Amino acid sequence: MATPDTLARPEEPLIAGHFSAVADRLPGRGLGWLERQREQARADFRRLGIPTTKHEEWRYTPLRDFSSIDFAPRAIACDVPELASHPIYGIEAFRLVFKNGVYDPDGGLGECPMGVRVLRLADALAQEDPLVRDHLGQYAKAHEHPFVALNTALFEDGVVVHVSRNAVVETPIHLVFASKTSHAPFAAHPRVLIVVEPGAEATVLESHLGFGGVYLSNPVVEVIVGENAKLEHTKLQDESLEAYHIATIDGLQGSDSVYTSNSVQYGAKLGRTDLNVFLNGQNVECWLNGVYVGMGSQLLDNHTRLDHAQPNGNSFEVYKGILDERSNGVFNGKIYVHQDAQKTDAKQTNQALLLSRNATIETKPQLEIYADDVKCTHGATVGQLDAESTFYLRSRGIPEATAKSLLTYAFASEVLERIGNEAVREITERMLYAKLGGGFPA
Amino acid sequence: MLDIRNLHAKVEDREILRGIDLKVNAGEVHAIMGPNGSGKSTLAQVLAGRDTYEVTGGEILLDGKDLLEMEPEVRAAEGLFLAFQYPVEIHGVSNTYFLRAALNAIRKYRGEPELSAGKFLGYIKEKIQLLGLTPDMLTRAVNEGFSGGEKKRNEIFQMAVLEPRLCVLDETDSGLDIDALKVVANGVNALRSPERAMIVVTHYQRLLNYIVPDFVHVLVNGRIVRSGGKELALALEEQGYGEIEELAGASA
Ligand SMILES: Nc1ncnc2c1ncn2[C@@H]1O[C@H](COP(=O)(O)OP(=O)(O)O)[C@@H](O)[C@H]1O
Ligand SMILES: [Mg+2]
Repeated sequence: MATPDTLARPEEPLIAGHFSAVADRLPGRGLGWLERQREQARADFRRLGIPTTKHEEWRYTPLRDFSSIDFAPRAIACDVPELASHPIYGIEAFRLVFKNGVYDPDGGLGECPMGVRVLRLADALAQEDPLVRDHLGQYAKAHEHPFVALNTALFEDGVVVHVSRNAVVETPIHLVFASKTSHAPFAAHPRVLIVVEPGAEATVLESHLGFGGVYLSNPVVEVIVGENAKLEHTKLQDESLEAYHIATIDGLQGSDSVYTSNSVQYGAKLGRTDLNVFLNGQNVECWLNGVYVGMGSQLLDNHTRLDHAQPNGNSFEVYKGILDERSNGVFNGKIYVHQDAQKTDAKQTNQALLLSRNATIETKPQLEIYADDVKCTHGATVGQLDAESTFYLRSRGIPEATAKSLLTYAFASEVLERIGNEAVREITERMLYAKLGGGFPA
Repeated sequence: MLDIRNLHAKVEDREILRGIDLKVNAGEVHAIMGPNGSGKSTLAQVLAGRDTYEVTGGEILLDGKDLLEMEPEVRAAEGLFLAFQYPVEIHGVSNTYFLRAALNAIRKYRGEPELSAGKFLGYIKEKIQLLGLTPDMLTRAVNEGFSGGEKKRNEIFQMAVLEPRLCVLDETDSGLDIDALKVVANGVNALRSPERAMIVVTHYQRLLNYIVPDFVHVLVNGRIVRSGGKELALALEEQGYGEIEELAGASA
């Protein structure tokens, strides 16, 4: 019989077993600062546990099924031959590839462009790179977010992108995380650190591509955009439809900087992204563009948080979701305007198109404003295709089904059009077309 | 070509069209005039197949075929075109793409080969000039950010490209200054032909100085209360609708 003591204590999540399973192969052992972070993160995770729907931030994102999966702490090696013919490989870029979380030395492409250092996180740690010590773990909040804690405790590899002061790097840096398993489920926790020094400009692409199987991909990306610097950060999430993609991006912007986040989400059984940007300087511009498309029983959850901490900051956020069949969407957009952030201009729009009676969206804008001279607007619309638009197209001879797919596609492509890199834009548009089942002439 | 017989239609339980009879032959231009709210747009939308309006009686034949049985896209493919009073903005779809998709859908319906993007551009070149469209208007999303006049020009441009047999123009003159009006009228007149019929709906006589009709009908309160030649339009311009409305009231 169980003692009252064991009854009261919540069961430890299966995945916490990974802490001891991987302990002896984690990179950066012996680095005091990292060991302390990892230890704290383990404690944080044990304290926070895997959230239930009682947790305000996870109300509509049940992890019940997830909790019972016995993920292996590392994948059994698995070939991903599909990867080479993926259209994303057609993009001209400097590329680093990880398969099931493990660096693939044969997957890379191109020469590292001038003005930027791109290295494996494991290597950077082995070399005791001071940049990593200064920044890693400073922005992502392991004490608040159980999956950030998991990542911090368990990451084995990842990437450091370091753009030098005033460097203008034209060639995109492309980070590919491919996953596939035909065996047991596994978990991977890639960690990325992007530092764009003052006055520099760069483009980073993150592609998370799945080719079947149950797995957890739990990337944490920390982004620092220095004063007067510019970063376009485009993320494509096309995980396998049985997989869990739980991601966190934490950004910090200096004065006069421009950060553009494009987030395109087509895949995963359950996709959750926490995107937080701290506008920590004057005259900052921040663009958050998001598109997500759910089919079947997919659940796609976006939590965004913008902190306007200094005066004259502009943020523009547009998230658009298409939800069909039994899929569910969650959008939670927070904007905090701190007391000092006078003349803030923040505009948030989130729109969802429900294509089926069984599709749902939970949407919640949250504005907290502590400065008095600001302009903050938010608008949320949830709806079906506009009947007048459909009729207009049909009155010109376009059949109803075609008209509807065309309008659905157009709804999302309006956001994809904001992607600066033309090749990426075209590929994500083609993928959108395919995901929606085509239905109109290309 | 078009035969409307005792047409009744309602919207939200209110009868708007209350027994319309109208015959239009190939080569003819008919003007339909009438005060605001008399049902002109309702008639135009019913012809195009908008399902907000419920047809409660009567029939419409297009060359003997039952128009009311056809889906809106089939009506278009059969040669009917409605220039909207309020053209709709379609975000995210470029004007050229949209028009090529429409033309090819119609060609497909008729068993004609579809046009490639290149061939299509060659085909629309003249019509672009005819309506004075800027390159910008072709690449932008359909009607998005277009001025009132540009929207109307775009409607007639679409009409010129799709080459319908029966053109229905709903208040194509509204919101146009005199120069724009001439451009639009010029575009419409270029399409006049012995095989093609037109129904020009307008509140004002002004447009009919440029698109001269063969027949004029006055629609009041859901009925055609008077029909005549083009001189009827001029008489209306002088007298206003007041007298005719009284007449309609007396007969109702
Ligand atoms: N979609 C609609 N819903 C409700 N009432 C409508 C609708 N369309 C038209 N009506 C009503 O029908 C009447 C005729 O409108 P309409 O056909 O637009 O007139 P006209 O074009 O002659 O000005 C008006 O009273 C108008 O308010
Ligand atoms: Mg009208």
